[in-house]
Amino acid sequence: MKEIVNEETVLRVPKWTLSKRKKNISFSNIFLLVAIVLVLFIIASALIPKWIAPYSPTYMNTESILSEPSSKHWFGTDYFGRDVFSLVIYGSRDSLIIGITSVLIGSLIGGGIGAVSGYIGGYIDHFLMRVIEILMTIPGILLALAIAAALGPSLMNIVLAVAASSIPGYARVMRGQILSIKKRQFVDASRSIGTHSWKVFVWHILPNSWSPLLVMGTIGLGTSILIGSGLSFLGLGVIKEVPDWGALLSQGRGYLVVGWWMSTFPGLAITLFVLSINIIGDKLRDTFDPKTSRMR
Amino acid sequence: MGAIHLKLIKWKKLLTITLASALLLSGCASSTTTKPSSEGTTKKEEVQPKEGGELTYALATSPDSLDPHRSGLAVAVRAFRTIFDSLVVQGSDNSIQPWLATEWTVSEDAKSYTFKLREDVTFHDGTPFNAEAVKYSFDRIIDPKTQAKNAVALLKPYESSEVIDEFTIKINLATPSSAFLSNLSQAMLGIVSPTAAEKYGDQFVKNPVGTGPFKFVSWTENADIVVEKNEEYHWGPSNVENKVVPYLDKITFKIIPEEATRIGSVQSGQVLAAETVPPQNIVSLNNDPNQQLLQVNTIGLPYTLFFNQRKEPWNDVKARKAVQLAVDVDAIVKTLYLETYSRAWSPLTPGILGYDESLENKNKPDLEKANQFLDELGYVKGEDGIREKDGKKLILNYVDGTPNREKRNDIAVIIQQQLKKVGIKVEINITKDIASVVQQKADYDLYGNSQVNSDPNALRAFYHTTTPEEEALVKRLGGGSDPEIDQWLEEGTVELDPAKRIEIYKKVQQKIIDEAWIIPIYVFPYTVAASKTVNGIKFDALGYPLFNDVNIN
Amino acid sequence: MTLVNKMIVKISNAVVSIFGSLVLVFFIIYLLPGDPVLSMLDPSTATPEMVANLRKELGLDQPVYVQFVEYFTNVLKGNFGQSIVNSEQVLPKILEHLPATLALTLTSSALAVVIGVTLGVLSAIFQNRWIDVLSRFIGLFGISMPTFWSGILLILIFSVYFNWFPAMGSEGWQTLVLPTLSLGFVGAGLIIRMVRTSMLEVINEPFIVTLRAKGLTERMVMYRHALRNAMIPAITIIGLNIGELMAGTVVIETVFSRQGIGRIVADAIMAKDLPVIQGVVFFSAVVYVIVNLLVDLSYSIIDPRVRRSH
Repeated sequence: MKEIVNEETVLRVPKWTLSKRKKNISFSNIFLLVAIVLVLFIIASALIPKWIAPYSPTYMNTESILSEPSSKHWFGTDYFGRDVFSLVIYGSRDSLIIGITSVLIGSLIGGGIGAVSGYIGGYIDHFLMRVIEILMTIPGILLALAIAAALGPSLMNIVLAVAASSIPGYARVMRGQILSIKKRQFVDASRSIGTHSWKVFVWHILPNSWSPLLVMGTIGLGTSILIGSGLSFLGLGVIKEVPDWGALLSQGRGYLVVGWWMSTFPGLAITLFVLSINIIGDKLRDTFDPKTSRMR
Repeated sequence: MGAIHLKLIKWKKLLTITLASALLLSGCASSTTTKPSSEGTTKKEEVQPKEGGELTYALATSPDSLDPHRSGLAVAVRAFRTIFDSLVVQGSDNSIQPWLATEWTVSEDAKSYTFKLREDVTFHDGTPFNAEAVKYSFDRIIDPKTQAKNAVALLKPYESSEVIDEFTIKINLATPSSAFLSNLSQAMLGIVSPTAAEKYGDQFVKNPVGTGPFKFVSWTENADIVVEKNEEYHWGPSNVENKVVPYLDKITFKIIPEEATRIGSVQSGQVLAAETVPPQNIVSLNNDPNQQLLQVNTIGLPYTLFFNQRKEPWNDVKARKAVQLAVDVDAIVKTLYLETYSRAWSPLTPGILGYDESLENKNKPDLEKANQFLDELGYVKGEDGIREKDGKKLILNYVDGTPNREKRNDIAVIIQQQLKKVGIKVEINITKDIASVVQQKADYDLYGNSQVNSDPNALRAFYHTTTPEEEALVKRLGGGSDPEIDQWLEEGTVELDPAKRIEIYKKVQQKIIDEAWIIPIYVFPYTVAASKTVNGIKFDALGYPLFNDVNIN
Repeated sequence: MTLVNKMIVKISNAVVSIFGSLVLVFFIIYLLPGDPVLSMLDPSTATPEMVANLRKELGLDQPVYVQFVEYFTNVLKGNFGQSIVNSEQVLPKILEHLPATLALTLTSSALAVVIGVTLGVLSAIFQNRWIDVLSRFIGLFGISMPTFWSGILLILIFSVYFNWFPAMGSEGWQTLVLPTLSLGFVGAGLIIRMVRTSMLEVINEPFIVTLRAKGLTERMVMYRHALRNAMIPAITIIGLNIGELMAGTVVIETVFSRQGIGRIVADAIMAKDLPVIQGVVFFSAVVYVIVNLLVDLSYSIIDPRVRRSH
């Protein structure tokens, strides 16, 4: 059926390096190295911000508000007189929490629905896909907005809102992937030697179908931070002692003329994080995906 | 560091200049009878003002209604003040002067007012203005079917109107009210066309018809409100110079909620004026050779944080005092508003009748004393630096609304850090649903609010003890109750001698501060950035803009 | 199955989806805390009687299933009810604001496709060269910059500094330029990835190799055949994300003070104005469904393989 063919084309994962046979020193390797270093640094910031940040993120120096980036304040100070660099370092924790948990929840539920739907097929597939279709007609941000408005602003609710809005996407991708793998020869082979249906599913189909979710997830990490940022732009964000990157961006937007650094650095943090995760994710996929490793 | 410091100093200097000129402006803006067009706003005004043209004026939020009786927002007043006139007008010296009413008498018992009305006024739809129209307007406000908003409170204690003859009306009050005339000057008690109000019914909010200098043309939701000049107009109030047809052909109020966009629009010339300039943009606009900044302090109740005295431990004056002493309001005003807003000291703003200057600089932050009070209350610092008593942590639930208007959310962020120093943990809860969190459930420890008003009687709605029936419907802010304050507020309402009222309200203000019911934070300066080609923007006693004299070069 | 039959099935599915979305939103909003009636009345003057009357007038005193049935019978009759906040009719209100949102959605999708396909194709052709790296960076910037931020940046640069385009408003094509740039880059970011990937796959497919072997010039191979195949993911992505693009207008319309249903629905959600939210969801669902039907149709035009499979 045509629909499936298309889904598969769309959902095929990009390859950072298609020509692996070529010389190893290329842009991609340098980038990979930089990316790994960056991600490790961000993770370290989230775990042990105290050791990295030069100031306390809540310390308000009223004597030097809105000062430019300098050797004293690498990323300048914000309108409270807080050190932006320290804020970015400390803010990484909540940003990662928003990104990672919402992606995990969204992809597990969405992926689960998609896998079940795709593997079992029939009426269940039909029903689940109808539900997903319904969810897709309501734009994600709208859903997130409604959920955030309903539950009130808190970190967990934002995670839930973002996760809920990403479920349909994961479900569709997973289903498409399962459908295409179901038809592969090795699945048939395994079935023909009498392996149990669920065993086939767990041992052969699932391991072969996670890579598109990985790609979606790496993008999702960034977008969920951004949706959270959008919510705080619309006034549904959380006010925490240590704001996450998205909230920092939103706070600094009115100060672009007098203090560009306030929003630019948190924005760069999001971009570099997403970028690095994507580079690493692509590499992981190329290395571990059974499909591509077979091609070697 | 040196460079940063220098920069800040330069900045401060600029700000002082701004403030100085702003004060000048606000001084002359509403001074009515004194030397016409001398200082401030425009020197060019002596030249014959240019006729015609369109003023585009950016508003920061969407008005809720253009029906003055059904509106509750200051931003709406800015738009519909152009469409509706009032019976009287309040000068900058707080004196009440004629407008649609030419003269009036007050009865012996101060419970009825007889107004002589202008005989040459017509509504935009051709309906003649007369005593019937005034009666219709006021009766309309108290009719529950109208679902009137702030107007109801302003009109209190109105009882009825009697049409004496076509241009004479007698208004009866239930009790004397010293604030009544001043309230009548407010746009929310503007006179509406009876024919149009009947015709449009519910939809009058989108089809306003009054006697104002401008006629309503259109309102496109989230986009703009257009009004055009009223060719018949010749009954302007005393606080403008041009009492006849306005110079402008029309005014387009553009609704631009996003700060940066609003300021960007005025800088790029897409609009000629923009309201509510954020503090950080004041400096850059001051350096802009094409822009002028106009600033006027609003009158009424300043932005004030209310302790919820229904909750422990805030029912104890010591706990409230501790917070009052631990909060450094100067630091807030300095960092967030870059000293473009002035600090508030009293439950009233300066400029209003009875404002008590002696409260200024009275309360200084004193962490030692704050700690001492908390110690006395039995709150001991735990390992995490947060005080606790009987195993319960000292947590202050700070509620604020959204969006982050006038950086009010940021005040919470600063106070959170300031109170941490004395061992109080502040939890900030931002809600879009103030109505239910604050007014219905009173689920907060600290919440801030402000009100634009022309008379100190406004204090009564905020600080007078409420009846259980009133409480059941709406929980009054703070919920404090004090027989002395109640009595003074009641006296203040009926007392007619201004000198005595001043004394009464001074006592009220002092006691409210001494009992630490509130922490006053700032007085909101209404700031407008306008192209230098725009002349003659003025402000009335409450700080609302007036467009009668505006002309564009 | 003939194309017509297929379309009928699809359309009936679509109708089910649209109504399903209404049901879902009805219950989400029903669960929202806060009383819309109380936010309509002035707390300082409202009496319990007024509250009760208004509730009755709006039918909010009925049990939820009665409200639900009533609402749906009305919608089936084409009556979307009136706003709880200002008693405006919902249908005319949405029809008034929809064109501005559609215009912006359309221009930004177009921009997204143009940028996305161009950079995606270049990226695939010049794989691992600087142009590839640059395109991918641009793509990632697109999806990792919040639109409100890029929007304000664009205003500062192009309105305040250069004074080329208006900073706000929704009248005239000029007002579309900056919002389109801001929103279009988000879509472009997604498309670049997908186009690059599928181009790379297509390039290595046997039929392209055959074409090359046949002696077609590289340019012919790329533009006539490979590009054609690369368009499919681009269009699918736009189809699947048209809802997101429309939702992106919630933020963009606020930043640029544009009229549109995005702002209306954001206000409505804050005010718990159910009829308006429902109306907007209905129309965005309709747009989503129509766009995706068109996407399905366009496959057969673009991709000969799909056409053959019919």
